[in-house]
Amino acid sequence: MGYLLLGIVAGLAAVERKGFLQAMLSRPIALAPLTGLALGDLTGGLAVAAPLELLWLGAVNLGAALPVHEALGTVAVVGGAVLAGQALGTGVTPALCVLALLAGAPLALLGRRADRFVEVANERLALFAEEKLRHHHPHAAVRLNLAGLAMPFAIAALLAPAGALVASTLAVRLLQAAPGLDGPLRVGWWAFCGLACAAGARALRARRAGVIFSVSAAAALLVGMVLRVTP
Amino acid sequence: MTIRARTRAHVFWRCLFLQAAWNRRGMQNLGFAYAIEPALDALYADPAKREEALARHLGFFNCHPYMAAAILGGAIHHEELVAAGAEPGAVPLSYKATLQGPLAAVGDGFFWTALRPFFGAMAALGALVAGWPAVVAAVVLYNVVHFGLRLVLFRAGYQQGDAVVGLIAHLALPRMADRLRAAGVALCGATAAAVALRAGGGVLGAEQAAVLVVAAAAGAGYLALARGIPLFPAAYLAAVLGTIMAAVTGWDGRL
Repeated sequence: MGYLLLGIVAGLAAVERKGFLQAMLSRPIALAPLTGLALGDLTGGLAVAAPLELLWLGAVNLGAALPVHEALGTVAVVGGAVLAGQALGTGVTPALCVLALLAGAPLALLGRRADRFVEVANERLALFAEEKLRHHHPHAAVRLNLAGLAMPFAIAALLAPAGALVASTLAVRLLQAAPGLDGPLRVGWWAFCGLACAAGARALRARRAGVIFSVSAAAALLVGMVLRVTP
Repeated sequence: MTIRARTRAHVFWRCLFLQAAWNRRGMQNLGFAYAIEPALDALYADPAKREEALARHLGFFNCHPYMAAAILGGAIHHEELVAAGAEPGAVPLSYKATLQGPLAAVGDGFFWTALRPFFGAMAALGALVAGWPAVVAAVVLYNVVHFGLRLVLFRAGYQQGDAVVGLIAHLALPRMADRLRAAGVALCGATAAAVALRAGGGVLGAEQAAVLVVAAAAGAGYLALARGIPLFPAAYLAAVLGTIMAAVTGWDGRL
């Protein structure tokens, strides 16, 4: 049931990401908690949301350029972490997050290849629409536009659960075989989160971004440490 | 002849599917034809003229999906004039051809590389500090701006035709984008601090160590990315190096 839900969430996110709406619902920050919620662990999904959003902050469709498929990667990573947490009975831990990330994130690259394939298929749809119009079927011609939503849905619905399955299986087996890795992997997750913040700052391409990033991080850290805030 | 508000609403709804069949040959051509179809149905009673109008909108089109709302509204404006015999059929096409490139550049620069990343960074910080309600608030706020502008542009395109360019210039989106980008970077910095504080868990000793790990990864990562190291290898390297370092030193992250 969990994998079916993952497939539906990933499929809908793939459609929202480009073909319909584009209202930020397929961005990692929204999609990760939604995926967690679908699997019964909203908190687990939320734990992965912020670093994934910043990691892929620059994944945008500029002109004809194809970015990585951040929605597919997100569902695979969150699905892997949550399912592994449920299998081990620990819930989502930093160690599971980093293992699910290492195993599931490449799906974002595979998704980009799939997007190219979809574009070629859509070209045939457009040609078919022109033919329909030549044969005086205008309504049928333009409605072919909606058929373009089917393939991104199907591809994401198949790939995301498969990615989550691989990620959760690897994470569970590794932690069962080497439970001592839990601590070091926790540190690996922190390091990844730091890199993700830097990736977000770089992706924004602001003037003097390095200075703004460093100063704001230091100021927020100082305030947090003085006030003893633990987010 | 003018089309009814209900038909315009139908066109606006359909413009949300503009990129459903995006392809390298015509790009958003099928999406544009799909979106404008209800307006053409209302304007042209003669099936031959309707098909002719639809055929001209099945040609190449590519723009930012939000900004395309202005062009769609303007195309309806011109199609009304064509249907009334006040303009030749080529005018809606030249209107689209003239505006699609510049509006795509403005839309990409404002929405994709400034507004959405800004709200993404805001939501990321909010998720760490306040949990899911902050994420919901950021997404809702983004969509208030996004749908608000999309609707305003569609209406302005329909009502003003070519004059919509003046409204877009008045919005000063590129200047606003610069500010949003800088604010977004600051939010990324604050998020790095929030990650470090969360990792330390407020425990003396662990806090300093966590700050060190996060700061080192953020600083080295920023420099590596600035030097052109691809994102994926950098992310893997950070996670694996952090893990190896902790394993070698025997540190489990909890001092």
